[in-house]
Amino acid sequence: MNGRTKVALGVAALLAVVLALLWYRDVSRPGSLTLEFRARSDGGPLVLNEFAYDNPGGAGRVKVRDFQFFVSNVRLGGAAGQFVEPDSYHLLRFDNAERAFTIQLTGVPRLEYDYLEFLVGVDADANASIRAVGDLDPNGRMAWNWEVGYKFVLFEGGLLVDDVQIPLVYHVGFDASARRVRFDLGTLFADAPDERRMFDVDVMRLFDGETPIDMQALSNVKFDRDDARRIASNFSRLIEYMPPAS
Amino acid sequence: MAERRDARRGRTAVVVSLASAAFALTGYLWWGNHELPPTPLAEFEAPFVFGRFNVPADNPLTVEAVQLGRRLFYDPRLSGTNALSCATCHVQALAFTDGKRTAIGASGRPLDFNSMSLTNLLWGPQRFFWNGRAASLEAQALQPIEHPDEMDQDLDALLAELETDAQYVVLFERAYGEISQTAVARALASFERTLVSANSKYDQYLRGETKLTAEEEHGRKLFMAHPDIKVSLRGGNCIDCHSQFLTSGFSTAYDGFSNNGLDAEEELGEGLQVTTGDPAHRGMFKVPTLRNVELTAPYMHDGRFATLEEVLAHYDHGIKPSRTLSPLIAEADNRVKGVDQDISLHLTVTEQRDIIAFLRTLTDRDFVANPAFANPFVVSTP
Repeated sequence: MNGRTKVALGVAALLAVVLALLWYRDVSRPGSLTLEFRARSDGGPLVLNEFAYDNPGGAGRVKVRDFQFFVSNVRLGGAAGQFVEPDSYHLLRFDNAERAFTIQLTGVPRLEYDYLEFLVGVDADANASIRAVGDLDPNGRMAWNWEVGYKFVLFEGGLLVDDVQIPLVYHVGFDASARRVRFDLGTLFADAPDERRMFDVDVMRLFDGETPIDMQALSNVKFDRDDARRIASNFSRLIEYMPPAS
Repeated sequence: MAERRDARRGRTAVVVSLASAAFALTGYLWWGNHELPPTPLAEFEAPFVFGRFNVPADNPLTVEAVQLGRRLFYDPRLSGTNALSCATCHVQALAFTDGKRTAIGASGRPLDFNSMSLTNLLWGPQRFFWNGRAASLEAQALQPIEHPDEMDQDLDALLAELETDAQYVVLFERAYGEISQTAVARALASFERTLVSANSKYDQYLRGETKLTAEEEHGRKLFMAHPDIKVSLRGGNCIDCHSQFLTSGFSTAYDGFSNNGLDAEEELGEGLQVTTGDPAHRGMFKVPTLRNVELTAPYMHDGRFATLEEVLAHYDHGIKPSRTLSPLIAEADNRVKGVDQDISLHLTVTEQRDIIAFLRTLTDRDFVANPAFANPFVVSTP
């Protein structure tokens, strides 16, 4: 081996080490996962303040004036490990031009996860506390009072039937109403450390379960636990994962 | 002997020189002050139950800013006529309101709006004025000064006036480094942020220091409940707009604004729509804090109700429907709603009386007598 070959081999070895280090630094860097929730109903972006939707179980047209709900305890799980978002309490609302809300998970180890999981609602411990964590605010609109806890889902609006407007008030809370939902997001972080996944939120699905609800007959839900259970049974239908086009 | 004397003289000279230098430096800093950073307001505190608050990064709460803001707040030179100060319409004894239906300023013409209480401004809606047209206390502060019907002061003329006052020159220098419109706004905002009311009977009750009477406790429960006849829950519906601890509107987005049924569709004022341009916000006004509400009559954005009894009567059976009326008000009823029935809470006389008894527990006598919030131009006599 002559001197020139030795130099070439040395340079190649050095280059390999540098590339390996760069690769290692890249794969060991935590990822970020943006969860984008888009409010959509009837095939388009959520329409607010107009009688835009049919009453799923009866007559009349429905106006959505306010729609907010809590998502909590967001985590990624799987055989390789899990990521639990700290202080994970998000109040999703869509009264912006985009009709969208994003949750950004940062510092996520780039492992193979099997699922994304969260609660629609607030866990029992936080629901019994007046600590302001994440978007939880005991002086906020979603707080009932410290003896009852938080509304998990808030829908306020109106129903127009035969030119008569009926107020609609759905404040759904209580520990038993919280629903754990799980989504298979497929492979994350395979190509890049920053991922974005989309979800559609259809508020009208709260009333359009196995037995569609006549919003005239059930025009408000507050403290009656049976009524709350009826709406909460549709929490798991509220959010739909929209996989990226392959 | 001579050497010791010389050494002693030498040491004395060093000590005198150092002392002189320290004295000169102290004097330089004292008179110049531009080398001393403003002092963080270390003693500022607020109840845990009030929750989080934000102070703008470019206007931190400092002793110097608050001192300056307090002086400006009470200084009639802030008006064009040198006869009106902020405190003319925001009187401490009335929880920083003025007792008038709507304020009357420099022009003598009644204004459109009732003077709002300046209490616990760090919490609740972070948009100011009844129609939310100011996005911060700093943005709010200069508007009444300039308004021809309010204080009618030209801001450049005000700055010129302040620059002739040696005390203001020092105070501005220490707080913000210069006299400017921005500094005036920031100082006023800083003082207003310190106006914390947190020692009412309700606060003492929350801290476990006292008990409410049976009437007050009944009123508290009614205040905190939206009525639900399905579960036999009677409610005054107050908490739907007034948060449980702060009793203010909500801080998120425009959630702290509401159409509370004061006017029918044809008479509905613009309200928040002035700020957002959104017709869905027509007739919505800022939900005020109810802290010290016993002292802040008359009530509503236009001061139309003289007493708390009138306010309760309005919410009980005086609601006027309109397109943007809060569904929470339209729906709330303590009886089964009949077909085409007027909107009514159907509270009993006793229930209304007890809600008012609870509202009176929100009076904070320490707040309205706190010397830190009082007029600094008045020398108190024992």
